[in-house]
Amino acid sequence: MIKLFWNTHNQNKPTSNDPTGKAARDYARDYKWGLYHKNNSDRWIYEALYKIQFKVIQSEKDIEKDDILIIVDSSIEKKGNFYAKLSLVCSKIFLIHLGDENDLYDLTSIYDNFDFVWRTFCLNKYFYNKKVSCLPIGYKSGVSIVKNKGERKYKWAFIGTSHKSSRHDLLFQLSDMKLSFIHRTTKFDEKIITVDEMNKVLSLTEFIPCPNGFVHPETYRIYEALECGCIPIVENAYKYYDRLFPGNPFLKIDKWAEARSIIQRWESEQISQKREECKIWWTRYKDNLKKFISDKINL
Amino acid sequence: MKENILIKINELIEEKKINEAQFELSKLGPEFLENSEYLYLRSKVFCFNKLYYLAIDMLLIASEFKQSDKIYNLIAEIYNILGNKELSKKLLDSNLRWTTINSLKDEMSGIYRK
Repeated sequence: MIKLFWNTHNQNKPTSNDPTGKAARDYARDYKWGLYHKNNSDRWIYEALYKIQFKVIQSEKDIEKDDILIIVDSSIEKKGNFYAKLSLVCSKIFLIHLGDENDLYDLTSIYDNFDFVWRTFCLNKYFYNKKVSCLPIGYKSGVSIVKNKGERKYKWAFIGTSHKSSRHDLLFQLSDMKLSFIHRTTKFDEKIITVDEMNKVLSLTEFIPCPNGFVHPETYRIYEALECGCIPIVENAYKYYDRLFPGNPFLKIDKWAEARSIIQRWESEQISQKREECKIWWTRYKDNLKKFISDKINL
Repeated sequence: MKENILIKINELIEEKKINEAQFELSKLGPEFLENSEYLYLRSKVFCFNKLYYLAIDMLLIASEFKQSDKIYNLIAEIYNILGNKELSKKLLDSNLRWTTINSLKDEMSGIYRK
């Protein structure tokens, strides 16, 4: 039987011997992120696994001999022994590794416990790896298009933190372009708007500038834009998106002034065509991804 | 020793041997992370590769370790490329550059401050 075990919220508890308190702090951080992943990525992961019939289990105690196990996890660097034990029981074991934007650890020995691994936040070493495949970080749970009659009223929108120079320049270059929706937050995941509100805004917006994330180019923003039928404008640093998604239709810029000129000049027909192109591409990409995952697991 | 390596890398950049300069920079360890000249050279390479925002972020960090005209001038040059002429002009003005750079850092979060 194929079983799915979501383990991101289960982190290794510190032992009583923790004189500096570092282990307790690390545990609190990993637990918080684990919950974050569970709350925000479950719909995306379940969509990616759509073609597979599995039973969701709540504990490793529900695993039986020769089960095929899909484990969704984060902060995996501390869980090597746990995975080694599971790999002895299961006939096959697959990992969906969430988080790890910072790439702080060599995970080779951890990944060796699995038959195949999907990981978010792709890195050079995983673009052509036979055992590890890159998985987009996807959209936050609950994000979906709201059907509207008529035109999209916002030319562009930005919802998020304006950290570092790219986002600062984005707002400098585009802020006077009407009609737009801007919701700036001062800190990641704080004072954010509700998912319903975000769905309404994105579903009424034509272009979504998608600046790079704090550490890694990928952010939820690009996939939320695609889910809601918007045109993503991404930074072209290191041609990341062309390597992750060869042949993708996103608009790519080196500086945000280029986005300004696109948003200003594109006529409605050109915008409609590009939106359709993005919509078709994203639907096909997701279909291919689901098939790829299903083929790997059911092989 | 440290300075010699950085001089050599600067020469490579001046000769537009960007890939070689990038390769040499990638060999340097964490002991250079607070070295403003190293951060400046990495920014120059970013700039050549049109990675303007990475270059600015790195120059802003470099300015935390050393107040240097060439750091401010390169930030000004990049803002000119980006189309923010007013900010570029302020950064080139020796009377305004220090307050300008600090208010810039105040406006954006996520940049290392000493």
